[in-house]
Amino acid sequence: MKEISFRNDVLPLKDKFYRLALRITRNREEAEDIVQETLIRLWDKRNELHEGMESLGFTICRNLALDQMQKKEAQNVAFDPELHETADNGTSPAEMLIAKEGRSIIQEIVEQLPEKQRSIIQLRDMEGKEYKEIAEILQITESDVKVSLFRARQKIKEQYVKLNRYGL
Amino acid sequence: MDYKYIEQLLERYWECETSLEEEQILRSFFNQKDVPARLLQYKEVFTFPELDKENQLGDDFDARLIAMVEEKPAVKAKRITMWSRLAPIFKAAAAIAIVLIIGSITEKSILKDMPTPVQTDYMAYPQTYRQTDVVTATNNVDNVAVETGIDSIMPLNTTPLANDQQQ
Repeated sequence: MKEISFRNDVLPLKDKFYRLALRITRNREEAEDIVQETLIRLWDKRNELHEGMESLGFTICRNLALDQMQKKEAQNVAFDPELHETADNGTSPAEMLIAKEGRSIIQEIVEQLPEKQRSIIQLRDMEGKEYKEIAEILQITESDVKVSLFRARQKIKEQYVKLNRYGL
Repeated sequence: MDYKYIEQLLERYWECETSLEEEQILRSFFNQKDVPARLLQYKEVFTFPELDKENQLGDDFDARLIAMVEEKPAVKAKRITMWSRLAPIFKAAAAIAIVLIIGSITEKSILKDMPTPVQTDYMAYPQTYRQTDVVTATNNVDNVAVETGIDSIMPLNTTPLANDQQQ
């Protein structure tokens, strides 16, 4: 039977989890904390796991990232409602690009996508996961994954062509 | 060079009809140096995943996590049969049985070497044994002693009287 080692089986997953957490939270420190918590939870569950450790890790990581986002949103509403409202007022990808010079156009476009589409793009295009595995990780149906990925890619294509035309 | 295949793959990519292998072909194609001008506009879409892989956690993160977990010996899943599951119980039962057998053999051999006091009394005073109840004699050695005492005292008591009569 397979032996489960923290160094060899759990720790090597850290970068994949980190990139997903970073895609959702957009904050390196928060993403690092989320990965830490994810790896410890995976290690605690090692006796129950023989296969699917990576998928479970992605699910835990995403749920922790979503919890973190919700907490932040709640704090924004509680402490600074004006800032929260102005943040929602139509900052276009182009304006974001000008504000954050040096970042790639595609990165900016991806970050404008809804969280579910962002996570699916991350798992499919960055981590090379099958639709079935993405569906398991996000706990949705495969067809839901395909629909969300289609919308995300169409949005990326549309925005990318538009921004390239503007010469940004 | 004919890039029709790449263009077809690209169209299918936007429609989410490409397989993982075909998407890898697109990434490999756009990550090479010589990308034709008409396809160059999509280059960043397929080079972005490679750039994203640069987002990594450092060695200090590893050291911190390992210290937190304090890596214990790896857990090994082991198949257990019904026999191996019950083996400790059988072993314990066998050990108890051996102790009991050795104990009873030892007890018998010790008792065999030592004559029992009750039997000695019966042999010494066969008349008393006959006169008294069997159960009483077996269970209470003192009773035997008392009764045998009476028998043995009687001749002593009669001796002075005999002497008086003689006097």
